[in-house]
This record gives sequence, structure tokens and C-alpha cells, in this order.
Amino acid sequence: MKFTEYVKDRVWFYMIAAISLGLILLFLEVFRVNGQLVGAVSSIFLLFVVFEEIFCFNRKKHFYCELVEKLELLDKKYLIHEMLAEPGFIEGKLTYEALCEANKSMCENVNVYKRQSDEFRDFIEMWVHEVKLPLASLQLMAHNHGDELGEKFLEQLRRIDGYTDQVLYYARSENSEKDYMIKETSLKRTVANVALKNRESIQLCGASVETSGLDVSVMTDGKWLEFILGQFIANSLKYISPDREPVISISAEEDEEKVLLHFRDNGIGISEGDLPRIFDKSFTGENGRSYAKSTGMGLYIVKSLCDRLEHSVSAVSEQGSFTELTIGFAKNNYYKMA
Amino acid sequence: MSRIFIVEDDKSIREELAELLRNSGYEAEYLTDFSNSRADILAARPYLILMDINIPNLNGEQLLKEIRRESDIHVIMVTSRTSETDEVLAMSYGADDYITKPYNPTILLLRISAVLKRFAGVSQVQSYNGLQVNDAKGSLADGSREITLTKNEMIIFRFMLDRKGSIVTRDELMTALWDNDEFVNDNALTVNISRLRSKLADLGCEDAIETRKKQGYILR
Repeated sequence: MKFTEYVKDRVWFYMIAAISLGLILLFLEVFRVNGQLVGAVSSIFLLFVVFEEIFCFNRKKHFYCELVEKLELLDKKYLIHEMLAEPGFIEGKLTYEALCEANKSMCENVNVYKRQSDEFRDFIEMWVHEVKLPLASLQLMAHNHGDELGEKFLEQLRRIDGYTDQVLYYARSENSEKDYMIKETSLKRTVANVALKNRESIQLCGASVETSGLDVSVMTDGKWLEFILGQFIANSLKYISPDREPVISISAEEDEEKVLLHFRDNGIGISEGDLPRIFDKSFTGENGRSYAKSTGMGLYIVKSLCDRLEHSVSAVSEQGSFTELTIGFAKNNYYKMA
Repeated sequence: MSRIFIVEDDKSIREELAELLRNSGYEAEYLTDFSNSRADILAARPYLILMDINIPNLNGEQLLKEIRRESDIHVIMVTSRTSETDEVLAMSYGADDYITKPYNPTILLLRISAVLKRFAGVSQVQSYNGLQVNDAKGSLADGSREITLTKNEMIIFRFMLDRKGSIVTRDELMTALWDNDEFVNDNALTVNISRLRSKLADLGCEDAIETRKKQGYILR
């Protein structure tokens, strides 16, 4: 708040003051009061106005300047009332109380949605667990009595299972609670689990899997990592290049600060224009449109999960020759000791 | 024969599961009334328990804890709960393995036999037709000669030896190989089996592995 702005804002008061001064002078003139007295009265009047304005300005300036300044600095602007001392003048008090009141009401409002979304998420989680029961049942039936159709049923059941897992992990990735568990996890075991789980799909596509340097442990949630790698495999199998034998190679490299897990396929690759956006929500891109059907959710969920686990994830690709996704796990010696 | 006890409240799953286990040569029993689970399970004296977490009355984790207090029967938790926390918790209560639903039946059987084998110790078959099987060295010997098997051949041979005389499907062999980080394809499996055949023939076991069309192989 600048003084000039304040003065501009007070123009009504000055007009009233000027009119009253005019009226006083007029009366004094009418009653033929002595010129010196007129001078003294006007000076007192003017001095009073000037002092009053300066005093008022300073009092308000302190509160409002702080308000503006702190608002600018704050990341969560709705917390502004927490940063201010309660002012001593009435307008300031009213403003301050209004801020507190507005914030309280907003918190309540946000809580309503938070509760709703938590409830929804819990329901999804429960639903996914429920739907896995008939899935498990069908899978056993297809295995026990499937004969020739069994393998076809099983393939479709695996698809359903894949989609339900996507829903589950989407709900988990959007949730603010900590529902993962970081512990030392063997990359070799995790990769074997994922490969085994997807073996039939991999072999149906005639793809081969190569691994190297996986004798490393990383700090992560094993189940989440399995889901992430499952998404990578599903993508690789979706975008196979027709000109060559599909190969998926999974390798790890370790340095002092981190472990990098590379997941590379020799599929159709991703165009340069699409590459920066593959982790965006609902982004399907050229490949999603012209090859396999794509929801644009898989890699988005991967990215959110990695963000929550504090792993880095990146992609390099050359259209027509390969795609390589890399997950970076930070090393934390503190965790290891614990 | 190993008796396996199924603790699962979904009727359809437990019946199919029992059938799967019986088809694979195990004896299978299940619980239909959960009012007195702990006592019923212990009375059945099973060799291994497949236990769900979400069961009526007592939940699976509690039940596991109680059973552990009295017995060290092998327990595999089979559940639709997929979080790492559930798994770590179950293992800390004394489960021997943790499998999430829906499971690939072949993988489930592999895990069951792995748990049973882990605790069977030395009773594992160490010889075949007069040949000494050395798992650590990955070799077969008949006293005068010794032939080294590759890792893949050893996995295949070991799997067939444990199921000697019954049919082993390609699917099962493939699962066993992939479970050991050997991500071989169909052709490689065929090549591995024919190499294993000729190595066995070299040691004097002609026609040790019989092919059953559309079913699999039998080690004679």
C-alpha cells in the first residue's frame, strides 16, 4: 500500500474536510472574526487532518503490506491468516476474521470431498478384491475342464485381471495416504515374478526375454514394481514391430548413488513428438491411434506410482527401432541399516 | 501322498482348487464350516494348508497365528489382498509363502511343491536308474562316467525326476524354467529336451523320456 494510493482512496474525506473548512471560514468571515484567529483555526484544522491521515495510514499500512507480501510468498495461499498477527483496527479485524472464517469453511468443504474420494477409493479397492474371487474361480475352472478352449479362456481372464489391476493401482496412485511399503527388494526375483506372470502372453507373441546384471537389490515396494514392469511388458507386446523377432531386454546398472533399471524392447518405438507426453494422463499418441487400442492410462499410472515411491522414470526411443524405459532407484544407506 | 488342507470360504474356488490338487496327485480336504476352524484344521493333520485371509469368524492372519502356536504345519497364504504390507505381515506370522489371487494354477502347483520340497530335506530322490544325481554340481554319474547338464537341462531333469512316472506338461516345464530366471521359448525347450535325451542315452538310459502327444513327457 502506497501513500499516494491511500490518499486517492481518501478523496471523499478530503472533500468533506475542505467543505467544513470552507463553512468554518465562511462563518468566521460573517462574524468578522479577527484575521489571526482565522489563520490559527485553519492551521489547527489542517494540522489535525494531516496528522490523523499519517497516523491512520501507518496503522493500516503495517497490516495490509504484510498481507500482500506474505500472500505473494505463500505457496498455499489459503493459509494466509496463519501468517498474520491480528490487527488493532476495526477494518483489519473484520478482514482478519473473515479470512479465518473463509478458511475454516473451505477446510470443511474440502473434507467433504476428501471423505467422498476416500470412500470411493476404499470401495474400488474392496471391489477389486471381490472381483478377483470369481476370476480365480474361472481360472481354475478353465485349467481343470478347459480342454482346447482352456488356453483361450485363460488368455481373456488374464486380460480382465490386467485391467482390474490397472484400476486398483490407479486408485492407489491417486491416494494421499501412504499405503506402500518400501523394503529391500531383489530385482531378479521381481523380474522373474513378472515374467512368469506374463509368460503365456509373451510366448503367444513369440517374444523372448533377456536379462543381465539383475543381481541387485533396490529399496522399493515389490508389488508396485511388479505392476510397473507388467505395464512395460504389456506395452512392449502391444507395439511389436512386424519386421523382426520381438526381444525384451531388462538390465540393471548400479553406481554410488543409484540403481538404474533399463527396460528395452525392439518394437515400433515412439515418435519424437509424442515422446515427451507419454506419461501424461489419457495421452494415446500416434501409436495408440494407429496400432493397438490404448487408454493412455498405463504409463500415467506408472509415473504417479514412481513419483510416490520417489523413483525417477524416463523414456528414450527411436521410431521404428526401439523403446527404452528407465527407472532410477535412489540408494539410501540409512534404510539399509534400519 | 501329501494331504493338503484348503481354508477358503468361496465354495466354487475351494472345489476347483481341490480338484486341481487331486489331479496333481495330492490328497485335498477343505473346510465348509468356519465356526471352529482352528480345531478342525489341526484335527485333520494336514501336511500343508492353503489359507485365505478373508474367511468368516477369525481372519486368516489370526488363524495362522493361533495355528503357529501349536504346530509348524506348512502354510501358504492364498489371498486377493495384493499389498506388500499384507505379504510382509503374513510372512511375519509364520506363513511359508504368499500367493495372490487370481493365480496361475501351474504356478500355484510349483509353489506348493517348492514349499513341500524345502521342508522334505534329504528325502529328495538322488538317483535315477543307477545314475547318481548331483544337484550342486549339475551332473549325472554312473560310477565310471560323469556327464554335466546345463542349468536348463538340470531344471527339466529335476522336475521330471520328482514326478517320475507321471505326465509332465510343457506348460509345467516352462513355468519351472521361467521361475528360475531361464526365460526360454518353445523352441529352446524342445532343443533342451532332446539334448537331455541324448545325454541320458549316452549314460545308457535309452528312451528315458517318452513323449505323449498333446500331453507332455514322462520320465520312465
